[in-house]
Amino acid sequence: MGNYRIGVLLADRTLDSGWRVMRKNLSFSNQVSVTSRWIFGWCLLPIVCAAVGCSPATKEYRPNTLHAASLLREAGDRDPKEVAAEAAIVVKAWFGTPDEPRLAVELLSEKEVVSWIDWAKVERCAGPVGRAEDEVERGIYRKHCALCHGISGDGYGSAASLLAPYPRDFRRGTFKFKSTMVGFKPTREDIKRTLTYGIPGTAMPAFSTLNESEEFAEDIDALVEYVRYLAIRGEVERRLITKAVRDDLELNPESAEARQVALDVMRRWSESESRAVTIPQVPQWNAEQRAEASRRGKEWFSSELTACVKCHGPLGNGDGPSQDFDEWTKDWTLLSGIDPKSPKDWKEMKPFGALKPVLDRPRNLAWQSFHGGGSPEDLFRRLVLGIEGTPMPPVARADGSNPGLTDDQIWDLVAFVQSLGDGE
Amino acid sequence: MMRQIFTRPWFWAWAVVVFVFPLIWVGGLVTTHDAGMAVPDWPGTYGYNLFLYPISAWIYGPFDLFIEHGHRLLASFVGILAIVLCCCAWFMDERRWYRWACIGLLTAIICQGLLGGFRVVLDARTIAMIHGIGGPLVFAYATFLAIAASSDWRNAKQDIEPRGLHRLALGLVILTVLQLTLGAQLRHALPDLKPSLFMALVHMHLTVAVVLVAWIGWIAWKVRSSPYRHHKAIRAPANALVLVLLIQVGLGVVTWIVNYALPWPELTPGLAKYVILAKGYWESLVVTAHQATGAWIISLAVWLACRIGRRQAQLALNPQLRTIAASSIANGSLATEGRTASAPST
Repeated sequence: MGNYRIGVLLADRTLDSGWRVMRKNLSFSNQVSVTSRWIFGWCLLPIVCAAVGCSPATKEYRPNTLHAASLLREAGDRDPKEVAAEAAIVVKAWFGTPDEPRLAVELLSEKEVVSWIDWAKVERCAGPVGRAEDEVERGIYRKHCALCHGISGDGYGSAASLLAPYPRDFRRGTFKFKSTMVGFKPTREDIKRTLTYGIPGTAMPAFSTLNESEEFAEDIDALVEYVRYLAIRGEVERRLITKAVRDDLELNPESAEARQVALDVMRRWSESESRAVTIPQVPQWNAEQRAEASRRGKEWFSSELTACVKCHGPLGNGDGPSQDFDEWTKDWTLLSGIDPKSPKDWKEMKPFGALKPVLDRPRNLAWQSFHGGGSPEDLFRRLVLGIEGTPMPPVARADGSNPGLTDDQIWDLVAFVQSLGDGE
Repeated sequence: MMRQIFTRPWFWAWAVVVFVFPLIWVGGLVTTHDAGMAVPDWPGTYGYNLFLYPISAWIYGPFDLFIEHGHRLLASFVGILAIVLCCCAWFMDERRWYRWACIGLLTAIICQGLLGGFRVVLDARTIAMIHGIGGPLVFAYATFLAIAASSDWRNAKQDIEPRGLHRLALGLVILTVLQLTLGAQLRHALPDLKPSLFMALVHMHLTVAVVLVAWIGWIAWKVRSSPYRHHKAIRAPANALVLVLLIQVGLGVVTWIVNYALPWPELTPGLAKYVILAKGYWESLVVTAHQATGAWIISLAVWLACRIGRRQAQLALNPQLRTIAASSIANGSLATEGRTASAPST
């Protein structure tokens, strides 16, 4: 009989009597039934929640608790959250909030401000997504980037743990694919290149589609400025925390020493444009010359001087014996005495915003999928500049008495790397 | 003839169904392009009455404004269709519950409109998520009304034991709604949601997807291995469910790739070289199609549940049919619709 009990649900008689019961319970008489109160209560709940709890709150940048925790793990007698919160207050005074960013003009001269950042573009990227009455679109960062990189640019967005590699944490001020030497900041053009062309095989998309329409054509430039702003803000915060833990720096926006920390970071960013390394002209080879260059390049690839095979393997398949973590991971693991391979160890830092450490796997060169671009110039740049923050070092360049590869030999190496895709 | 068609509730109920589906598509595009706030005011558009906003500014304006304003216009049109359906049902349908159910649909559409409006006025993504869940539910409800107005609903007879299929169909509707809720949470995730929570949502979405595949497979197998296979009215929605499910699984995999890339990109050179195009044409299409196909699956589940449930209702209320159904199973013979004596009015 059980079958038939459910069965009568869609009989007209049941539906009609169901309606009668509903009408009786929903009648607006003085005697409101318990059922009707329940029905109305449940219907009203989402509306009340929407009106009260879901209105756009002014967001705050997430304090860099992970950095404070890694510094205080072994020697600290202070609460990492407390230190991070103090640093966040100072940084908020100088850089504002995600909805209302501000420029620390009190720290800079007018000339420096202009060279440092295009503030109008930063303001377009900040805040919630949408157009105001002037029809200008705002909140571009949250529209395109925040789900992975997080509101704070800490690489801890909602989708972060799903991605391989993890989205970049800008707060370290370290960028992988750039035209400046290790230790220097990327140029605007470097960030723009990554935004425009994306990174193949990863979740970092290419925003070149934005250039196709007039209305979004300036969005990439605006995002470049906002990424610079987030990186500067984050690095200042990070250095303040380091100073506070190691040198007992007073975390106060008025403190001269704290201001000096901020100024140092800003000036390093403002000088990045002049630090780009020039790439020599690409040699024009015929097929025979290219084959010969590739053969020479193979020798360099296997040599002790370059040590490419240690990570990329003898055939460039990325299966070399040396496998390591990137600097973003080492930052809160090895430097604070945590073994990244031990789940028990690293999970200790999970409450502070740590993601599971993942090995930075060397590229399989045979697939010719290069994260920093696949043109000969890009490959030359990667070889001579390395990939900052990763185990990929710059190739030693011959310089007077220093041993290393000449530009021609590096081009040979480029030819060999490109030839690895021929058997694909 | 035409006049007769235009005065039938089923025509207008189907009209609502037909126009809600593209509405869901456009709504999905709005989410994909994060265009919910492309028009900052509501119910007007940049100070204009919704219907008086200059067409040239709409058509030639920014793409996000184009889809958001288009979504509002299409929703208004669906609202008008629902009003016509209510009028038609009120005067032409003798079933009281159906008349009020049509009013219920109109109310649901108005509530959806209000939710969409509150989403803009309060700039609240959580309301956007509720609005996103509401769309497919309205679509499913409209489908139910269209089916309830069909001749199959009125003439359905059952002479086969249900063998639990009605429970499976009802369970399928619940599962698809659950999956919709999980999908909407992923689509509308706030950037400050904890990654572990987002990961948990992804895992739940994938788990329910696997359960749904098994569930629909079970239903399809049950239909095919029983006398139901000769009943086109049951077989058609079951087959359609399998087909749409296959499309949906494919769309789901591709949606993952175009949103997050595969976690093991070096599986093949093709994946290793693939660069996601932000808001690219195909990327947007796939992601939006995945959402719209989800709504379609809920609607198909409602279709199947209605078809089975209605026959079940006839069987439950008609002892004579039950006897025939029982004997048909005992004899291993097959009874077909319309062969039995006419069922008493329910």
